[in-house]
Amino acid sequence: MNLQQTGRSLEYLLHAYARTPWRAQRQWLGAALLLVIGLGMTAALYLDVTSQAAIAGRQIQDLRSSIIATELVNADLKSHLAESTSTVSMEARARLLGYEPVEQASLQYLSVPGFFEPEPVVLATAGSLRPSAASMPPEYTESLFDWIGRRLESAMDAGTGVP
Amino acid sequence: MKQQYAWRSLVIAALLAFIGASVILQLLRIQYSPEAQNFREQSALYGRKLETFHPERGAIYDRNGRLLAGSKTVYEVGVDLATARDKEAIAEAVGVVLGRDAGEFYDEMLNPPENLRYLVLADFVEADAAEQLMQLLHSAKEMAEPGQPSRLQGLALDAHPQREYPEKALASNVIGFVSYEGRGYFGVEEKYNSLLAGNAVQVWVPTDPNRASEIPQVSSGTTLVLTIHRQLQSTVEKILDDALSDYGAEHGTIVVMDPRDGAILALASSPRMDLNEFGSYGVIYGNASEFDRAVSMPYEPGSVLKVLTMAAALDSGTVVPSTPFLDTGAIQAGGAIIRNWDNEAWGQQDMVGCLQHSLNVCLAWVAERMGAEAFYRYMNRFGFGHPTGVDLAGEAAGRLKLPGDSDWYPVDLATNAFGQGISVTAMQMLMAVSSVANDGRMVVPHVLRAMVREGRQYSVPVQYAGSPISADTSNTLTQMLAVSLENESSIALVPGYRVAGKTGTAQIPGAYGYEIGVTNASFIGWGPVDDPRFMIYVWLERPSTSIWGSETAAPTFSQVAKETILVLNIAPDSVRNEMARP
Repeated sequence: MNLQQTGRSLEYLLHAYARTPWRAQRQWLGAALLLVIGLGMTAALYLDVTSQAAIAGRQIQDLRSSIIATELVNADLKSHLAESTSTVSMEARARLLGYEPVEQASLQYLSVPGFFEPEPVVLATAGSLRPSAASMPPEYTESLFDWIGRRLESAMDAGTGVP
Repeated sequence: MKQQYAWRSLVIAALLAFIGASVILQLLRIQYSPEAQNFREQSALYGRKLETFHPERGAIYDRNGRLLAGSKTVYEVGVDLATARDKEAIAEAVGVVLGRDAGEFYDEMLNPPENLRYLVLADFVEADAAEQLMQLLHSAKEMAEPGQPSRLQGLALDAHPQREYPEKALASNVIGFVSYEGRGYFGVEEKYNSLLAGNAVQVWVPTDPNRASEIPQVSSGTTLVLTIHRQLQSTVEKILDDALSDYGAEHGTIVVMDPRDGAILALASSPRMDLNEFGSYGVIYGNASEFDRAVSMPYEPGSVLKVLTMAAALDSGTVVPSTPFLDTGAIQAGGAIIRNWDNEAWGQQDMVGCLQHSLNVCLAWVAERMGAEAFYRYMNRFGFGHPTGVDLAGEAAGRLKLPGDSDWYPVDLATNAFGQGISVTAMQMLMAVSSVANDGRMVVPHVLRAMVREGRQYSVPVQYAGSPISADTSNTLTQMLAVSLENESSIALVPGYRVAGKTGTAQIPGAYGYEIGVTNASFIGWGPVDDPRFMIYVWLERPSTSIWGSETAAPTFSQVAKETILVLNIAPDSVRNEMARP
């Protein structure tokens, strides 16, 4: 029974195609168009990603240049500050303000409970440094669903006024 | 009709396929053509450039974080010969701004070295001059006709750092300087040159922005934190300058050290130079050993060395403080007659009296009694004849003649005992005597307190150079020296603080024996005796108002000690003792 039905359907299809050959041509045309659209989309995506990467690379190059420039300015400022607070400058300013060097004989020493001598300076800055991975934006690590969920969540938060 | 369209479609499809296939074939042909290698080389050439990264030189700070050596921006002025349009205008602009002959620049541009595209016209141009040139460049661009290059096209300014010393001559003997080539000379700059400068890296840098991540990260040089106390350094330099002037000395050296850990708190030596004007080095100094006399210039120290002779004698059990000695004013040693500094006989003395009156005869007797073997064993332990290892460039080892050396004679044992016939540096004396102030432990002097690299600070540990004498000997000798200063009412004393020390007045050896009427005046002292916080060495060369160390170096020591007490905030003995009571 089934075999008969299938045979009839096939016969019907062959008959239909024989009567209207444009159906087969349209299929071929559709497949070709699909291929062209697919290739076009891939090319567009590739171009988009490549151009974004190139722009990011260019920005990195620019940032590196500005880091070097900033470091030079920073060093300049440090030197200017040190010059302004050098022993000669500070002594001249102190004298202008009416101060004079203290004599050892004129000092009086008081015992202050709990006083500790200040420790010598520590110039380390490593405490403020963190591995760059910790500050990586979520766009680089989340999945598409995570991203959609996050966007929805933020949209809902914005709607309800949750800070 | 339909057949006609079908044919047309087929022709168009075939044409497009042919074009596509041709493009692909052409791509393959070029890829495998004989010229392909040439194209690849060109691609490699323009896709990257060779760059040398000079990491910024590390800064130098004092112990309280005050900048002693940093950087400032200067400019390299150059011209791109391939794009330069009006070389005469460029030469004129650079010549006027830099105050130099424009013709020279013009000639250089017309006759550049072969195959040179970029010609450096001037380097280390100050920022204000560079700013003027930038303004000229800007004006030239504005004045240029639309679409036309400016007259100064090709002129380029490239910023880079140069060493800057904001304190100018302060601590110049310790810091040293950096040449235009970026090499450190003298002091810390030379000793730690490789650390400060970082490592220059020459790499191919991709110009392709997609490969920006391949640009290397070059770390800056290591920052150094010194043990130097800027305020104390400044004060000590002033005291030294005043002492040179007051006592008519030719040169001088003062070093302040913490005897507990060997940290140099201040080191002043004459002459000094503005480190920003390092070109004047040749005018100020005759030779390299003059730059830092404390480490590079050995001399016969004279009676300050008696401290160590007595330390050796006490430690070896040769004498005790109460050992009697009858001073007749002369003693025969090694076939020569040794006399006191005043040619007088001082009669009955003990060892405290011998130190108090600085009796050559007594110390020669002590050394003879100890024997050459024991005496030189101790002198070796004190580090004489070897560099101390202080972290300053150009350290001299001095000379300690030993029995068996071709130029050692038996009389040397006696003369060495009071500091003649032996050459030492001020730094060696400080290291050796630190054992007396520091319970027998000898510290290695140093100026580096810490290093800062990649944001982390690394402290330099204290280094000990052995224990040449026992703690008992050091305490006994410290008391003897303190008492001898007090008995003599020395002008080295500091009111409110008990200090120990010894003067030295040494004749100066010349080509034909010792020079007449000129001396090296010295003083070494430390305090407070019960808890030493500072050790001071004073050396004045050829003072003319008085030849005696007790009248020149001793008061200078007292001045430095008073200022050190102020700066280091050391309370008087009475206050400290009261605070120590339960």
